[in-house]
Amino acid sequence: VKEDPVISEEEAAQYDRQIRLWGLDAQKRLRGSRVLLVGLGGLGAEVAKNLILAGVKGLTLLDHEQASEESCRAQFLVPVTARGQNRARASLERAQNLNPMVEVHADSDRVEDKPDDFFLQFDAVCLTGCSRDLMVRVDQLCSQRNIKVFCGDVYGYYGYMFCNLGQEHNYVEEKPKLVKPTGNSNDGPEAKKAKVDPNETTMVKKTSSFCTLKEALEVDWTSEKAKAGLKRTPVDYFLLHVLLKFRTDKGRDPDPQSFAEDSQLLRQIRDDVLEALAVSGDLLSDDFTSYCFSEMSPVCAVVGGVLGQEVVKALSQRDPPHRNFFFFDGRKGNGVVDFFGPK
Amino acid sequence: MVQLVGSLRKELADSLSTCKVLVVGAGGIGCELLKNLVLTGFKNIEVIDLDTIDVSNLNRQFLFQKKHVGKSKAQVAKESALQFCPTANITAYHDSIMNPDYNVEFFRKFVLVMNALDNRAARNHVNRMCLAADIPLIESGTAGYLGQVTVIKKGMTECYECQPKPTQKTFPGCTIRNTPSEPIHCIVWAKYLFNQLFGEEDADQEVSPDTADPEAAWKPEETAARATASEKDGDIKRVSTKDWARSTGYDPVKLFNKLFKDDIMYLLTMDKLWKKRKAPTPLDWHQLENSACPQEDSPVSGLKDQQVLGVWGHCQLFQQSVETLSSQLQEKGEGAELVWDKDDPPAMDFVTAASNLRMHIFSMNMKSRFDVKSMAGNIIPAIATTNAVIAGLIVLEGLKILSGELESCRTIFLNKCPNLRKKLLVPCILDPPSANCYVCTSKPEVTVKLNVHKTMVLSLQDRILKERFGMVAPDVQIEDGKGTILISSEEGETEANNSKFLSDFGIRNGSRLQVDDFLQDYTLLVNVLHTEELERDVEFEVVGEAPDKAPPPQTNQEEVNSITNGNKDSAQPSTSSKGQHGRKLQLDWLTEAYNCGGSNSS
Repeated sequence: VKEDPVISEEEAAQYDRQIRLWGLDAQKRLRGSRVLLVGLGGLGAEVAKNLILAGVKGLTLLDHEQASEESCRAQFLVPVTARGQNRARASLERAQNLNPMVEVHADSDRVEDKPDDFFLQFDAVCLTGCSRDLMVRVDQLCSQRNIKVFCGDVYGYYGYMFCNLGQEHNYVEEKPKLVKPTGNSNDGPEAKKAKVDPNETTMVKKTSSFCTLKEALEVDWTSEKAKAGLKRTPVDYFLLHVLLKFRTDKGRDPDPQSFAEDSQLLRQIRDDVLEALAVSGDLLSDDFTSYCFSEMSPVCAVVGGVLGQEVVKALSQRDPPHRNFFFFDGRKGNGVVDFFGPK
Repeated sequence: MVQLVGSLRKELADSLSTCKVLVVGAGGIGCELLKNLVLTGFKNIEVIDLDTIDVSNLNRQFLFQKKHVGKSKAQVAKESALQFCPTANITAYHDSIMNPDYNVEFFRKFVLVMNALDNRAARNHVNRMCLAADIPLIESGTAGYLGQVTVIKKGMTECYECQPKPTQKTFPGCTIRNTPSEPIHCIVWAKYLFNQLFGEEDADQEVSPDTADPEAAWKPEETAARATASEKDGDIKRVSTKDWARSTGYDPVKLFNKLFKDDIMYLLTMDKLWKKRKAPTPLDWHQLENSACPQEDSPVSGLKDQQVLGVWGHCQLFQQSVETLSSQLQEKGEGAELVWDKDDPPAMDFVTAASNLRMHIFSMNMKSRFDVKSMAGNIIPAIATTNAVIAGLIVLEGLKILSGELESCRTIFLNKCPNLRKKLLVPCILDPPSANCYVCTSKPEVTVKLNVHKTMVLSLQDRILKERFGMVAPDVQIEDGKGTILISSEEGETEANNSKFLSDFGIRNGSRLQVDDFLQDYTLLVNVLHTEELERDVEFEVVGEAPDKAPPPQTNQEEVNSITNGNKDSAQPSTSSKGQHGRKLQLDWLTEAYNCGGSNSS
C-alpha cells in the first residue's frame, strides 16, 4: 500500500470527523487502497457507499446482471430510468458523486470469467451475491497473496459477513496509557498520582490469524467436541449453508414470485444439508422460510455497515477485526460474531 | 398462504404505502434513515431539520454533495431521496421541531415518529409531544463506533426522561479562573475570554482571578474580606473587560501582559492555592520575543492543524487573532458583539492561542489546533457505517410497531467489539415506565432545593424550567390560594417579574408551583425546598438526584455486557473510541460530551 504523505486541505475538511475517530495514519492507508466489489444488489450498494465515503483510492464495481425494475427499487445507486442497463454501469454515476476523490470504475463482466490475475490488482476483495464455489476459489487465490477477502449476503431478514485477512494480519490497537507519577509531570500540576489519562494513549501492535472460507464451511460436526459446542453455535451458520446450496442448485436466490415452490425447496434443502452435516434437523424450524426472501433494505444497511467497517479496519490495519463471521438476524435484532474453522 | 411483496408480508407492505411517518433530523442518522424508509416501501414521509449542510458532513451524510453546502438539510435530503424513488411523497421542513407550529395535532398525523437528533433539549421535547399525542417514538443515537436504538410507547415503556440522565459536566468558577489543572479548563477559560472581549459579556464567564476563592483564604474570614477589598479596588474591577480592552485599543501586547503576566502574578500572591499545587509561571511578551528561535521547517506529513506550536508561535497567533477580531468588531459598529464559532478561523485561532498560553503557564503540555477544536467545538467523531447500522435497526423496529408487534420491540446496542456472549448487536427487553418519572406519570411532581431570596424569576424560567426540566414555553402559577401568575409564556406579560426574587412573591419553604407547558401538554408540580446551603456555583438541586454525578442507571439487561476495561465510570465524557462500553449507555451524553447545553456541531 503506497502512502502519499500529503493530505490536501479538501480531504482534511471532508474527512475531518473520521480522522478524529481513526486517526490520520488510518486515513492515509485507506487513501492508498484499491478495492474490488462484486455484486451491486442491495448489500453491494451499501458497501459501495460506505467505502466510497471512507475515502479509498479506488473501487471497482463488478456486476454482469441487468438492472431490473426490482433492482431500481432495491438499491439507491441505480436510477429508475436505467432498466435494462448493466447494474454496475448504471450505479457508476451516483457512486462517483458520493465522493469525487475516489476512483470508481464499473465492469460488466461475469466474475466467474475473470482470470486469476484480475483479482491480484486489489488490496481487498468483497464478494456479494456469489456462488459458494466462486467464493471458495477467489478466497483461496487472494488470501495467499495477502489480499483481504470479504464475503457477504442478505436473504430477507437474515444476513452474514465472512472475512479472511490471511494467516498473519497485523494491526494496531489504541490503548489508554497509564500515567506514572513523576516529579516533573508535564500534564498538569495535579498529576502526582498514577491514573489513566484519557488524553494519552499508546498504540499496541497485534496479530490475528484467519482460515480459508473452505475450512470455515467444512467444519466437522461429527466429533464429540463439536457436538457439545452446538448449543452455543449460532444457527445462522447452518442457515447460510442452506441458502448457499439453494443458490448453487437454482442459480438464483429464493424469489417472492415463487414463494410456495421455493419455500418447499428450502425446507427440502434444509433437511439434506443438516443431514449431510450430521446435525439435528431441529436446528432450523420451518418458519425460517418466510423470512429469507429478497434483500431487505434495512438488513442490507446493517450488514453493509458492519462489512464496510471491517474492510476499513483491515485496510487501515487498525482495531481488532471480527473473526471470522458476523451473523445478523433482523427479526431478533441479534448480531453475533463467531469463529468457524480449524481450532 | 403467505403472500410476499419483496421481503414483507402483503398486509405489512400495504400499510407502509398508506401510513405517514415523521423523521426528526436529516443529518448522519437522518440521511441513512430516509434512504431505508424509501427503499423499504414507506410512501409518506415528513422530515424536519433546522440545519444547513457543511463540508464536514460529507463523509457520512451521503444524500449531500459538495455543491449543496449551505443549503437546507431537510430540503436537499428530500430531493436526493426522490432521485431514487420518484413516487415517494416526502415533505421537508427547514425548521426547528420546537417551533409551536408543530403541536400535538401535528404529531397526531403520524403513526410513527423517528428521532435522528443530536441534542437532549429536542429529544426531551419530542418525547413529550409523542406522549401527548400517544404516538410511538423510536429514539436513537450514535457516537464514533457506538450506537443505540430504543422504542418509546406511552404507558408501555419508559419514556425518554424516565431515567435521570447524567447532567452536563461543568467546572467550578475558581477552577477556571484560578487553578486550572487540565487542558479543558484552559479552553473553557479561553472561550469565556472571547466572549468578555468580543462577544456577549456574561457574569458567569469571568476570567479574572477570583479573589473570593475559598481555597485561597488561610482563615474563613479572609474570603469575605478579600471579596470586598477587590470591589473597592476601583477601576479594574468596575470596568468591564471589554471596556478595558477597548480603552487600550485592543492592543494585543497590553492584553497579553494583563492576562498572562499581571493576572498570573496576582494569583501567585494567593499563596495558599500553591501550597499543594504547582504554581503558575507568568509570561513576559518581550522576553519571549527576544528568546524566540526561528521556526524550524515542520514536517508536512501530518495535518497542518495537528502541529503543536511553540510558546512564541502562540503569542504570534494571539496577536494576529486579536487584531483580526477587534477590527471585525469595529466594522460591525456600536454595541456590536461577535459570536464564537469553531469554523470561524480567527475565533478558533484566538481560543487555540489563549488556551495554549494558559496551559503553558500552568505547566500543561500544549495542544494542537486540531485537538483544541475538538474540545472547544464539542466535536463528536462520526462515520457513515455506524449511522447506517443504527438507521437499519430503526426501520426494523418500525416494522415491528406497524405490524402490531410491540412486545417484540427492543433496545439495541451496537458495540465496538463483541461482548462475552459474542454479541456485537445486543437486544434488550424494554423497561416499563418509571413510577417516579417527572414527565410521563399522570401527576408529575418534583422537589427543587434553592434559595428563595437569591433565585430570580428569570433564573427559575431559564435555568430550571427550560434547561433542567426541558420546557419550551412554561406558564407558572403559585399555589397560594390566589393562583398568582409568576411567569406567563406570552411575551412581555410577566417581564417585570424577571429580575425579582422568588421570595418577593411570598414563595418560601414548602411553596408549590404549578408549571404548564401547553405546547407539550405537560403539567409539572414543583415543590420548593428553601435552603441557604448550596455548594458554591450551584444555583439549585433537584431532590433525589446528585448533581453532576447521576450514575448510569442499572436496569435489567438480557446479557452481561463487559468489554475491555470493565467498570468504567461512564459519566466521564469521551469523544474517543477508546472507551469500549459494552454496558447500557446513555448515548445522549456521549453525543453531548463537553457540551455546555447547546447542540452538537454537525
